[in-house]
Amino acid sequence: MDSLYILIPIAVVFCAIAIKLLLWAIDNGQYDDLDKEAWRILMDEEDVQRKEQADRD
Amino acid sequence: MLKRTDSEHCYHCGELVPPGTHLTVEIGGEPRPMCCPGCQAVARLIAGSGLDSFYRLRTELNETAPPLPQENLYLAYDNPENCADFVSALDNGEHRAQLLLGGISCAACTWLIEKALLANPAVSGANVNLSQQSLVVEFNREQLPLSEIFQQLLALGYDPHPWQLSQGARLIETEQRAALRELAVAGLAMMQVGMFGIALHAGDIQGIALEYRGLMRWVSLLIASVVVFYSARSFFHNAWNNLRFGRLVMDLPVALAIGLAYIASAWATLQNSGEVYFDSIAMFTFFLLLGRYMERQVRRREFLRQTDLQSLLPVASLRREGDSWATVPTRSIRSGDVLLLRAGETIPADGVLLDGGGAVDEAAFTGEHLPRSIGPGEQVSAGTVLREGGGSMRVACDAAGSRLATMLGMLTRAGDKPTLARLADRVAARFVGAVLVIAALVAAYWIQVDATRALWITLSVLVVSCPCALALATPAALTAATAHLRRRGLLLVGEDSLEGLLRCQRVIFDKTGTLTHGELRRRETRVAEGSTEEEALAIAAALEQQGRHPIAQAFADITAATGLREVEVVAGRGIRASLDGRRIAIGSPAFVSETCPGLPAPPQAPGHWIALAADSGLLAWFALDDSPRSDAEATVAALQGRGLAVELLSGDPSNAGRELAQQLGIDAVRIGASPKDKLEHIHSLQAAGTPVAMVGDGLNDAPVLAAADCAFAVNQATDLAKSQADAILLGQSLGPLDDAFAMAVRCRKIIRQNMSWALAYNGLAVPLAAAGWVPPWAAAVGMSASSLLVVLNSLRLK
Repeated sequence: MDSLYILIPIAVVFCAIAIKLLLWAIDNGQYDDLDKEAWRILMDEEDVQRKEQADRD
Repeated sequence: MLKRTDSEHCYHCGELVPPGTHLTVEIGGEPRPMCCPGCQAVARLIAGSGLDSFYRLRTELNETAPPLPQENLYLAYDNPENCADFVSALDNGEHRAQLLLGGISCAACTWLIEKALLANPAVSGANVNLSQQSLVVEFNREQLPLSEIFQQLLALGYDPHPWQLSQGARLIETEQRAALRELAVAGLAMMQVGMFGIALHAGDIQGIALEYRGLMRWVSLLIASVVVFYSARSFFHNAWNNLRFGRLVMDLPVALAIGLAYIASAWATLQNSGEVYFDSIAMFTFFLLLGRYMERQVRRREFLRQTDLQSLLPVASLRREGDSWATVPTRSIRSGDVLLLRAGETIPADGVLLDGGGAVDEAAFTGEHLPRSIGPGEQVSAGTVLREGGGSMRVACDAAGSRLATMLGMLTRAGDKPTLARLADRVAARFVGAVLVIAALVAAYWIQVDATRALWITLSVLVVSCPCALALATPAALTAATAHLRRRGLLLVGEDSLEGLLRCQRVIFDKTGTLTHGELRRRETRVAEGSTEEEALAIAAALEQQGRHPIAQAFADITAATGLREVEVVAGRGIRASLDGRRIAIGSPAFVSETCPGLPAPPQAPGHWIALAADSGLLAWFALDDSPRSDAEATVAALQGRGLAVELLSGDPSNAGRELAQQLGIDAVRIGASPKDKLEHIHSLQAAGTPVAMVGDGLNDAPVLAAADCAFAVNQATDLAKSQADAILLGQSLGPLDDAFAMAVRCRKIIRQNMSWALAYNGLAVPLAAAGWVPPWAAAVGMSASSLLVVLNSLRLK
């Protein structure tokens, strides 16, 4: 159980890194438009399909 | 799935295809029906650029596209001087422009706009923000003039405007990011603390070594400190600021609960005894912040669209300098300048017409969409639109003294809406009082009985009475109601719009553009002998295309005949031309009789009659009017059925208002009311104790909308009217108004149920805690369960 003394601080450090990254992303404007990002993935797929279609033709 | 993509509705905008219209565009391998040449042009452009998968991706129908203007109206933006405030230079020699776009309805629009712009090699970056409806485009100014970008956006069916972030809007953006940061920290911290919380609760039940319990408590304390001092600080701020002025608000019990639970838990950690509540603190903070964030998100979009004086006037105007006309930014115009006015342009300043003449659309002030004919010596006002004709004017006063500025100034004076004490805050005030009294009594009792346990039991009373469910009761119900109304076609913007709606006893409608479509439509066609309706309509459409008068809209859905020559547009009267060797004319009977001397008198029937005639004789009479929206009558009846008084308040002095009121069954009518009259009328009603709801669309309605207890703007309303409204109708239908009243009643019922439940839960838990019987895990479960119940109950609002 002594390993907890190492594992828990590691978990806390990882949590701090995750928070830091998230805050960086927010300040970078990546969360300014939540409505669009939810859709973007579908749009890109559309492009790929179109390209595949073109490759086959 | 999208509704209304059958053969009777326009594939682009979903409007009913008018009878006799056979416009199609091939999309996805099939011919699709279009309602008007405007939509056809946009759809053809989209399909022709290989972007037709837009139609499969979109989740909302597009707005009906206006016909494209023949000349580029944005040329003034090619002069860097005129666009310094929304275009900035980049390091690599390119430029970045910020634009606001009207007509963006769903995410597929952003895809379409970005794809279409990036197809041009001179554009290096294009990014549309859907929630702000804004576009940032980076482009090479030498290869691509800015006016081309404007023109291309217009061709795609969107309405571009320069975008300058106002001070207020900038503040909202910063606040929104700060709120998201707080939310993110609370969320991640909640997961961490929750993890240790489970271990600690399990330890309480099956035993845990003191050493490890201490470790986990210390780590939890560390993480919870971040939540309390960073994420939750706004609750403490709000509670304290209101408390200083003697107001007890919902944030006070929230701040008390978070603060006391934190202090108690920190004390327990230091002493290595007692109980800790770190997991509850983090979770409670996170969910409250989440609710608040979503509530704000809705309001942000509309706030960003607020209009100021500058954006209502043209960017540049033509000023006489010596013998020539120079293009100057409108804001540099001063009293005494002489300006050139051209058809189709917004008049930049108040003044007197020196020469020329034409027809000026004063909808901004009167709400009346039919233009007024003007000649030399007559007054013109900034913000009105010269539909036809042209000439020059002398500016009489600076922008700040114009009628338009006066009207905008009225907004600030109309400003403060009657504020209501929110139900949640009223309950909160009593709740805080009760909890503090009980806690004091409990402490007094336990100090007498068992002083060692007094502190812990008093604290557990305060923590158990933590008003999670109570705090969520109102926002959960409002969020559910807002989401439901959004699907029905009504966007709630104001914070308290539903509560405000409940008090309203009188609904006041504007006429033109609100109860009616706000544009002229053909009501009746009477064809003369020897002519067919189809032929007459085609000729009329061809002639009307030449002018810019609003009458042209009535023929926009017709495919025009070709072969017109020697066209002559007489401003405010009509249009003449030659076709197949004949002289033909359309317009007022007096004007047409100059071409066709034997013209008979117009038919005696309601409507605005115009004649179409050749030199050989009459071809047809057309009756035009501004028809009421299809469900106006049903909506008025439904509102009256709810016991609400309905009134028509119109700026149009003609008798059309009375006729419409009679047709729709409205008893109370006021016509010819200026924006000031309208505002005074609302104020006098409010002073007499009648809260009013107002439905409007125009610039002239904006002050009234700002003053009304609950304000609705229709879909085509000007941005200024929208920014003053509590709710915006998203479609063509007025029906959602009635839904909103129904929803307000149901929402109040659900909020009351939620609050009763939350108070009952606290009522039960507090005595148990006072007796010292509630372990912390039971308190945590109880809190979560009661909050969940409140959320589930709110979801019944469907």
